[in-house]
Amino acid sequence: MSQINENEIHDRLKRLSQVEPGQEATNRAMQKTRDALIASEGRRVGLTPPSLIGRVMKLAAAAVLMIGAGFIGGRLSAPEPLDVQELQAILESSLKSSLEPAIRRQLQDEFDNHLQLTLSAEHNMLKQELARQVHRDVETYTEQILKEVSFLTDQRLMNFARMLEAARIKERRHIAAAFDYMGSRLGDGLVTLATRTDNLLDAERTDQMSDVSEN
Amino acid sequence: MRSRQKELLELLDKSGADLYALLTKLTLREDIAEELMQELFIKLNNSTGSGKVANWNAYARRSAINLAFDWRRAQKQKVLPLEQVSEPASNDDSPLGKLVHSEEMQQTLDAIGRLKKSSREVLVMRYLQQESYDNIAKQLGKTSHQVRALSSRAIRNLRGVLSNEHKPSKKEIRNVANK
Repeated sequence: MSQINENEIHDRLKRLSQVEPGQEATNRAMQKTRDALIASEGRRVGLTPPSLIGRVMKLAAAAVLMIGAGFIGGRLSAPEPLDVQELQAILESSLKSSLEPAIRRQLQDEFDNHLQLTLSAEHNMLKQELARQVHRDVETYTEQILKEVSFLTDQRLMNFARMLEAARIKERRHIAAAFDYMGSRLGDGLVTLATRTDNLLDAERTDQMSDVSEN
Repeated sequence: MRSRQKELLELLDKSGADLYALLTKLTLREDIAEELMQELFIKLNNSTGSGKVANWNAYARRSAINLAFDWRRAQKQKVLPLEQVSEPASNDDSPLGKLVHSEEMQQTLDAIGRLKKSSREVLVMRYLQQESYDNIAKQLGKTSHQVRALSSRAIRNLRGVLSNEHKPSKKEIRNVANK
């Protein structure tokens, strides 16, 4: 069983602790996180706009209370009771004049704010989508290049192997021819040697026979 | 602006860089760390049960550790086709790029991911973030002595997990023998 000692584990952990992202990447990540946080808050505001309704309701309630107080004060100090229709008209006009500009302004502010947040969110999403698209394109391009390079490398290796095989066969033929030549030369030499030896032996034998006859 | 969002934006300014560095250490990918960082802050912003959080920094740090190891587990389960395997975002020349290609680092992080949650958190805070035992104890609501014991046990367990990984399985031995 292969064991890892504690020193090696500490060494690995130390190396992991030394991993640090670049400053540029850190700044980019923080900016994107800030944008995403604001955009998510914007979506939350867009989905649930109770703040606008709440504020308008508060304003309306305050206006009604003020008008009511004014009416009671007037009623108490006035010598005669007011006409109901007249009172309604006064209330309507008073409410309209006090509430309408405020509501309009509030609505406009809320709309501007909402629009700005939505645009910011859309911009962020668009940027992310674009980055993803570029990443995908680069990946596809890299993959195609790798395939092409692999194909070309295979082809060249096959050509090289064929050339190597042809060179080997040629070399073998040369060696076989050399051996044939050497073999034929050796055979000729042996025949010549045998012939000369035979001649020499014949000559010696003739000399011996002549010596014997002389004696 | 809601007070939660304001708090989170302050946290981002104060500890954003540290959290991003932590996520990069745990994923070994700058692009993934960036995505997880956004996910972390959006989760913190939308979470309903975190009204009582006393220390946002510690809470965010622990959430980041869990998020990163969740991502690692998901990656292990997901078998990506070759064309979907993306290259790491960092340059090959950088120290990060060198480490990304190191199988040992991935193996060690996967092994840490297999430890218990408390051991994992202590290990990451102590050895990857080089924090003091006292600081870790404050963040986890434990005593310094308990953190020391937990850290020592975590190293032992990590060694066990890594040693088991190194041991070839019976199937592998059979395959080699058949060859």
